Amino acid sequence: MQELIDNALVRIGSAASAEELETVRVEVLGRKGVLTQLSKDMGKLSHEERAARGKFINASKEALEGAWQSRKDAFEREALAKRLDAEWLDLTIPAPQPRLGTLHPITKIQWEIEDLFRSMGFSVLDGPEVETEFHNFDALNIPGDHPARDMQDTFWLDGGYLLRTHTSPVQVRGMEKLGPPLRMIAPGRVFRNESVDASHEHTFYQLEGMMIDRNVSVGNLIYFMKTLLTSIFHREVTVRLRPGYFPFVEPGFELDISCLICGGTGCPVCKQSGWVELLPCGLVNPHVLKMSGIDPNKWNGFAFGLGLTRLVMMRYAIDDIRWLQSGDLRFLRQF
Amino acid sequence: MKFSSNWIREFVEGLDLPAESLERLITMKTAECEGVETVGALLSEATPARVLTVEPIEGSHNVKATVEAGRYGVRTVVCGAPNCRPGITTVYVPLGVKVVSGIESNGMLASGAELEITKDHAGIIELTEPLPPLPSADSVIEIDNKSITHRPDLWGHYGMAREVAAIAGKPLRDPVKMDLLPKPGSPVQVEIEDLALCPRYSALVFENVRVMPSPLWLQFRLIAVGLNPINNIVDLTNYIMAELAQPMHAFDRAKLAGDTIYARPARAGERITALNDEAYELTPSTVVIADAAGPIAIAGVIGGRDSAISEGTTSIVLESANFQAASVRKTSSALKLRTDASMRFEKAQDPHNTVRALARALELLPLISPGIRLVGGLADQMRAITEAAPVLLDLDWLARKLGRELEPKAVEGILTSLEFRVAQVKPGVLSVGIPSWRATKDVAMADDLVEEVGRMIGYDSITPTPPLVPCAPSYDPPEREFLRGVKRQVSAQGYSEVSNYSFVSEEEARKLGLAVDDHVRVLNPIAAGQELLRTSLLPGLCRNIIENAKYSEQFRLFEVGHEIHRVDGAKPVEKSHLMAAIFSREGDGREGLFELKRVAEGLAPGVRAHAVAEPREWEHPARCAELWWNGRAIGRLSEISPRIIEEGRAAVVDLDLELLRELAPAPASYRPIRKVPGSAFDLSIITEARRAAVDLELEIRRFAGELAESVEYVREYQGAPLEPGQKSVSFRVVVTAADRTLSSAEIAEMRARLIDGLKSSGFDLRI
Repeated sequence: MQELIDNALVRIGSAASAEELETVRVEVLGRKGVLTQLSKDMGKLSHEERAARGKFINASKEALEGAWQSRKDAFEREALAKRLDAEWLDLTIPAPQPRLGTLHPITKIQWEIEDLFRSMGFSVLDGPEVETEFHNFDALNIPGDHPARDMQDTFWLDGGYLLRTHTSPVQVRGMEKLGPPLRMIAPGRVFRNESVDASHEHTFYQLEGMMIDRNVSVGNLIYFMKTLLTSIFHREVTVRLRPGYFPFVEPGFELDISCLICGGTGCPVCKQSGWVELLPCGLVNPHVLKMSGIDPNKWNGFAFGLGLTRLVMMRYAIDDIRWLQSGDLRFLRQF
Repeated sequence: MKFSSNWIREFVEGLDLPAESLERLITMKTAECEGVETVGALLSEATPARVLTVEPIEGSHNVKATVEAGRYGVRTVVCGAPNCRPGITTVYVPLGVKVVSGIESNGMLASGAELEITKDHAGIIELTEPLPPLPSADSVIEIDNKSITHRPDLWGHYGMAREVAAIAGKPLRDPVKMDLLPKPGSPVQVEIEDLALCPRYSALVFENVRVMPSPLWLQFRLIAVGLNPINNIVDLTNYIMAELAQPMHAFDRAKLAGDTIYARPARAGERITALNDEAYELTPSTVVIADAAGPIAIAGVIGGRDSAISEGTTSIVLESANFQAASVRKTSSALKLRTDASMRFEKAQDPHNTVRALARALELLPLISPGIRLVGGLADQMRAITEAAPVLLDLDWLARKLGRELEPKAVEGILTSLEFRVAQVKPGVLSVGIPSWRATKDVAMADDLVEEVGRMIGYDSITPTPPLVPCAPSYDPPEREFLRGVKRQVSAQGYSEVSNYSFVSEEEARKLGLAVDDHVRVLNPIAAGQELLRTSLLPGLCRNIIENAKYSEQFRLFEVGHEIHRVDGAKPVEKSHLMAAIFSREGDGREGLFELKRVAEGLAPGVRAHAVAEPREWEHPARCAELWWNGRAIGRLSEISPRIIEEGRAAVVDLDLELLRELAPAPASYRPIRKVPGSAFDLSIITEARRAAVDLELEIRRFAGELAESVEYVREYQGAPLEPGQKSVSFRVVVTAADRTLSSAEIAEMRARLIDGLKSSGFDLRI
């Protein structure tokens, strides 16, 4: 009997395939298998013999089933390994199109600056690109005969309209719409009628902003600008104000920052002066407030302009402004 | 505007700051300086020298000269000037020893141009007895004109000197001696037709005039500040203009018709040939100076050629007038003629200044035209000058505006140094009288004085202070966040954002079949391609596609920007649009179109494409569709015609973003998940091959009504056993009841009802 079992164990162990193993299983463990045969004549055996036979059969069954199971697992593992191996993929080849696209560098910087302002309680407003003469000039204290109009070469349109030369008209619209107190910025596309070269564009992006409240001082303006610019440039920025003339502010300033390249000691970027002219600003002219329906005796504030295009060029060290409007993917895909 | 620091020093007593410090101080306190340059650098070493001997040098046009060179003794120099001859007095400059034409030359003899004291470079300068002192080298500070557009007084050296005196705390010396001015009673009469256009016209008449080159010091001054010396009389008018900011003009009295000078609008059809030899046709919007015969000058802009000073002039009328800024500016831009005079007048000059300039001329003319005689007295017609009312300045208010404490004495000191007339009204409040040269345009209210005090006390003396602001959420226009979402989503699907100009050329519009008349026209384009404003983002993207196709086989682009549409008699309308484009050199274009459709679906879930009746000229006529969403047409999906994109396939999707945002459904409340499953069955409709699937889907929906939870396109089939030109389109219909599972009998009945309905409208079904 033991020989029978040993034989069966050998056959399980030597089965060459899952199919062969199955044949062996049927022959050994199946209904007509060896174990079944062994239990067939149980009825003829004595009580003691039966007990001994039963024990033997159970032990053998356990041994055979164990052997079969481990052999079967081995075959399955092998089969899986084979299938997986057959499924080899070269993951080093590129993924199919499309890749992630890109946002325009101006969009990226504009969003960054917008978020910064929003975190300081500013509203971000939009306005039309085609403006009336009133909103672009008169409401900003630049009447028709004002020489300041020469400072901004204007694209004039049919019907007496114009392409806005700055985003300041949005400030006027913002004051009209929201009233004081007010913190707002107006980023957007502006136009100047000039020839294009590496550093001049007739189409560029600007961001203008204002804060209208009670008792806003020059000291507040300096503090705010310092905070703002420190956040924009991700480092401590030293600023200075000097007189500048813009009809919609009084007093008006040019704000310089200490040169970020040389730290203020003088280099070609700052023309050896240690300072870089960055933005015009000032206290909002009372006439401008009045024209927008705000009482200048109760309210005042500051306003400033920030060249977004210029900021983009500084941030990414772009040496030719024309790339920005070129639509050239070799450039755009870098952002 | 260029400022000679030597000139400024004449008016500021004891000014010892070098030009570089002046430049910095002026930048910080008054106006932006663009740099300092030295004019007449050679002068510091130069000395007058008499030519003793001259010998020719063989084989050279140069000569060898010995000169008696003052403190340098006798020197031998090689000189190439044709006028180098013994006996003349010229200028010697020691430059070290150099071999020229084989001869050791120790220094050089200089021309006026080399010394930068005249424009003459024909030969070495010749000095005549009595020998004039050589001028000293000058440092010239250039000021950005834009930073002084509001300051009429800073268009002359005296005005800048006043600033410098205030900055440096030194006394200011006025060069004008008003007591030189004669009493009224001139041989010429002045008639002003419109005192608003010409608020003042003052003049003096001189005889025994000798026209000749100006003395060196005068020529040098003019050259230093960028003006051209012409002759002594013209140079004097320019000198006084550069000094006092008052433009002047001299007429040859012999060439004037009559003794009356008129300041009046030009008569229609009048013409004048100006000093620049250009002839101008005048209109009544131009103010002219005229004699009995007609215009002799364009007021405030330029003089006439026919009455100009010439070598033979012996008698002059010297004009010093004041013209309305707006009128001069209009004339100058209409004639496209900006002159030194017009630049000053358009800043609104002080009418007090006309006679000051004449007084200054009375002092200087005898120096430059010896023997000159004044004829009669002063001609002076004017509108009454109203003095500007004093401005009340509350010192507490001033301190709040600046954000720093102020000593009342310091404020008074600053304003007084700038010649504001300060008086205390009550403690803490000053009455500030505005000087006439600041009152024409610049200073009119207390806020203007904030600037005067702030800049002089120094903005760097103000401590940055955080503003106190209300704690309130900011107003955020919803469309901005929406636009950001659009850009993020489209770029995440592989599209790169471009930014194109708002301009299109007429030619481009025509080529794309965009109606030129719908465009807003730019009246003053300065470059080709700027004639029209874009009514579509298409022209820009077409340009991008053509350009990028040179480097790339396949690419995706998008732009978010404004379309600008002309509206008759009203402001143009701007519409925010998205246009995304895909280009592929290979393939049949099908994939690209459907990819773009998916982009549209991402922004407008459930958007439907409908066939268009009339394809646009730029579209592939068999591959374009209108996109509809929530009952409105929101855009188009189109392949671009191969007429435009000749190689490869390009397609675009165009969406109206304002409409898209408006139609976007508000977030709906949660719908419970159905517990009983729906039942699905397929329907296949046989129809002609070009029938739009969306129409079939809508038909099914029409008949299914409420029953159908969804009707979805599954596939289509062409080929046997269908007739050629036919196709079968399969849809999966899911039907449900809210509360129970439908029985197979109910489903079969619904299906039968649908099929009957479809058949009754003429559809053939594959069952």
